[in-house]
Amino acid sequence: MLISWNWLKQYVPLDMSPAELEQRLMMSGLNHEGTEPLGDDLAIDLEVTSNRPDCLGHIGVAREVAVLFGSELKIPAVDPPEGKTQVDDLVKVRIDCPDLCQRYTARVIRGVKISPSPPWMVQRLETAGITPINNVVDISNYVLMECGQPLHTFDFAKLKGAEIIVRRPRPKETIEAIDHRIYELQPEMCMIADAENSVAIGGVMGGAQTETARKTADVLVEAAEFDPVSIRNTARALNLHSDSSYRFERRVDPQCIDWASRRCCELILELAGGELAQGVVDVGRPVPRREPIVLRFSQLKRVLGIDVPAQRVREILVALGNTETRADTRSIEVVPPSWRRDLSREIDLVEEVGRIHGYDKVPEDVGMPMVASTRTKEDRVLSKVRHVLTACGLDEAMTISAVDEPTSRSFSPWTDAEPLRSLTPVLRGADRLRTSLVPSLLAARRTNEALANPVIELFEIARVYLPQGSELPAEEFMLGITSGRDYPALKGLIEAVIAALGPAAGLEAAEAGCELLEPGQSCRLQLDGHLLGYVGRLREQSLKRFELRAPTTVAEVKLSLLVKAANLIRPYVPQPPYPAVSRDLNLVVDESIRWADVAATVRANCGQCFEDLQYCDTYRDAERLGPDKKSLLMTITFRSKEGTMTSQQADQLRDRIVTACRAKHGAQLR
Amino acid sequence: MALAEFLAELDELACEAVAAFETAGDADALEAVRIKFLGAKSGRLRAVQKGLAKVDKADKPTAGKRFNEVKKEIEEAFARIKFATAEDKLHLQEEIAVRLDPTVPGVRPRLGHLHPITQTIEELKDIMGRLGFTLAEGPEVEDQWHNFEALNIPADHPARDPLDNFYMATAEKVAGKSPSQTPPTTGRLLRSQTSTVQIRVMEQLRPPVRIISLGRVYRPDTADATHYPMFHQIEGLLVDRRVTMADLKSVLRLFASSFFEDDVHIRFRPSFFPFTEPSVEVDMSWHGGWIEMGGAGMVDPNVLRAVGYDPEEVTGLAFGLGIERICMRRHGITDIREFYKNDVRFLHQF
Repeated sequence: MLISWNWLKQYVPLDMSPAELEQRLMMSGLNHEGTEPLGDDLAIDLEVTSNRPDCLGHIGVAREVAVLFGSELKIPAVDPPEGKTQVDDLVKVRIDCPDLCQRYTARVIRGVKISPSPPWMVQRLETAGITPINNVVDISNYVLMECGQPLHTFDFAKLKGAEIIVRRPRPKETIEAIDHRIYELQPEMCMIADAENSVAIGGVMGGAQTETARKTADVLVEAAEFDPVSIRNTARALNLHSDSSYRFERRVDPQCIDWASRRCCELILELAGGELAQGVVDVGRPVPRREPIVLRFSQLKRVLGIDVPAQRVREILVALGNTETRADTRSIEVVPPSWRRDLSREIDLVEEVGRIHGYDKVPEDVGMPMVASTRTKEDRVLSKVRHVLTACGLDEAMTISAVDEPTSRSFSPWTDAEPLRSLTPVLRGADRLRTSLVPSLLAARRTNEALANPVIELFEIARVYLPQGSELPAEEFMLGITSGRDYPALKGLIEAVIAALGPAAGLEAAEAGCELLEPGQSCRLQLDGHLLGYVGRLREQSLKRFELRAPTTVAEVKLSLLVKAANLIRPYVPQPPYPAVSRDLNLVVDESIRWADVAATVRANCGQCFEDLQYCDTYRDAERLGPDKKSLLMTITFRSKEGTMTSQQADQLRDRIVTACRAKHGAQLR
Repeated sequence: MALAEFLAELDELACEAVAAFETAGDADALEAVRIKFLGAKSGRLRAVQKGLAKVDKADKPTAGKRFNEVKKEIEEAFARIKFATAEDKLHLQEEIAVRLDPTVPGVRPRLGHLHPITQTIEELKDIMGRLGFTLAEGPEVEDQWHNFEALNIPADHPARDPLDNFYMATAEKVAGKSPSQTPPTTGRLLRSQTSTVQIRVMEQLRPPVRIISLGRVYRPDTADATHYPMFHQIEGLLVDRRVTMADLKSVLRLFASSFFEDDVHIRFRPSFFPFTEPSVEVDMSWHGGWIEMGGAGMVDPNVLRAVGYDPEEVTGLAFGLGIERICMRRHGITDIREFYKNDVRFLHQF
């Protein structure tokens, strides 16, 4: 809202500097956005929050100034001289849609002379950011900027049947507005019509047919109240936002409607001449009565944390326009003014007293009781995962939660359901809530490849959104990784992350079966029988699909399983004070034999002395080992709790392991 | 075997061995020579020792004595040469050390970096934890009750405008109706604030409640240097008996003083949010001026009632801060889009 310093002065003395005024207004709720000098005037830009439409006019702001500086507010009395003709004899008004238009008033002035406005009005309007048109139109805008009540002036002669009907549009009805564009009307809009056609989009914009122009002699002055939701929907549907619609959306002061109409007529008579018909056509709901509100003085201390003297409370509330109806030592009862529809509860009065009394009086150093706060297990686990990953050289990425349709289809291992869709894309075509982090990370990888960044090791911890029919989606925290290291290295990294969390259950791996990943270079991980995630290298065609050049591996792990399985506080296990002994083993087995099974047999046959089993390599040589054979190289470490292990004991264990592997897996020692 | 013959063989071996040790160029060669002469299984000395058995019985003490002398002689020669070689090597290393460039860098492991937003979040969480606030989580896709109604944002409130929210398509919406015609009142949407979590927590817990909620929120802003349709928020909520605006100011002051490691002051400017009353914009003193921190207020009685609390019994304070803004100010980042581009060079700065 642009306020003219000179204009404001008309209603309240401005003895302070503009800077002081701006500061005080800012500290009481009208945020100062900036001030521009314009000629000998200042355009002060104030931000008006949506609960304070009363400040969308100069009088409203003047009222705040008067309260803050303890000065007197002067609102001009309006008493335009009326002619003999009764307005009822000139025009009929009917509201057919009382849900969309609560009240409609009309006055008629005949014999006006349309001309440019005088310089003082032009200057004030320009300071307030309004382009002057002609005296009659300017006056309606002037009154709007004065008191916040939008007005419209029709060329009365062009209203067919000398009739105003407030109604919904007819099917397929259109209107040409004063911006000379044709608007298609929708059923829930509120139209102002004459006996035949719509002549204005109620509360939003007038029509071109009936606008006041050079030849206009008789004008009808409309001052009305429209339903805020209807106005908002109409303005949005037509993409037609005006100073009028802005104010009707926030609700106007019902008490001000008639004042604004008379003020407008008075100024027209003064600046454009003519004769005002007697009386007003006033149709619709009368001004609703306001219910009184009781403010208990104790509530001020209870909410604001400070005591405000009762006398000061009374002064503030009355200065703001409330009418005191009752008071005692503990409370005060007031009826709020018509322009403050935001005041209806005790807490609203607490806020009024607080903001005018000043929040600077609220102390900032009160002691609060200490309470224990705990970190959630999830928080601890995610933090640990992040630390392991950064220690391993991965950088944390953050990508947006929505992806476009082809991206959403490229990899979705957690669900086959259609992803959730937003009605408007979150960002450039991205209207699907992602079901995997991997495609987004691959896009980030592409960004880095394009920059020729040599090392691209990225992870992200974020949610995916798995649809669940009519329920809210399951939001699962995932760990996504994209890396330039090879598949065994990335798999090892995932293993390290899991090991750091120390779950009791073992990790199992199986074929991935993902279209995105190279079959021989990928796997699916399971923890305690639940699908934990995927690791693998991108196939050639997958690289192409994501426009990547260098070999790429990816992984995605469901973190909720890790949070559940994590064992963050480990029990102490005493370590035996004897040296370890290790034995290398080279077992030739059939291709179909899996390492995990051999490893389980090895572990099972170490007895009490098992300490570690390291996989070293797999060796294949059809000539030396035979076809469909492979040799598994491993190192087993033993340590006894009883004493130093001898070579013979270690050899015996090794022999037992070899025998067991031979029996169970047909393994031959090489 | 004659004694003389045996002794001669011994002497010859001794000479050969010492000569071989002295000419051995390095440690490996020396070891090979040692094995050749002193090797336990097939060394030459061992072979000569076998000859000792063939010496006449009467000469055996003499032969044996001499054998031991020669053995000792060879072993000493080996030890002497070995020591010398090791010393040479040491000298050699010292010489190389003189030629080495100490400014050549070491082999450095590549450490990963946490995203600057995470770093900021971790710090904020940490500070709020010390002030007794426990972290609470809630869904990002929300229903209208938690995102609006319970937060005192009724059906006809402009904040529910489809243009200001990311509503989810439902089956019939996909089928045809344009979203602009029917403002949805039952559909789902991406949460526009983390206050939703506060409602969910209060629905589950009786007062006192002292939580922070934190995470991604979504608003349809066109992406530019200061706007992005997705960003992070941190919100604090404290509901108890006798909670006042003075507590709100004090919590924010402790928080800002901890985060900015300075004794800052807090200023409230009146504002409007549906879910708090009174509502304020929060500024903190900074380098002689004031900078905006975020929005705050006392929990609106309607919100307390919506979760089944009695506003006559308890009051609440709440505040919300934008994490990107804090992070940008902290590091001097000028474009919010940098956060979501994930350029490794950007990530590695923090």
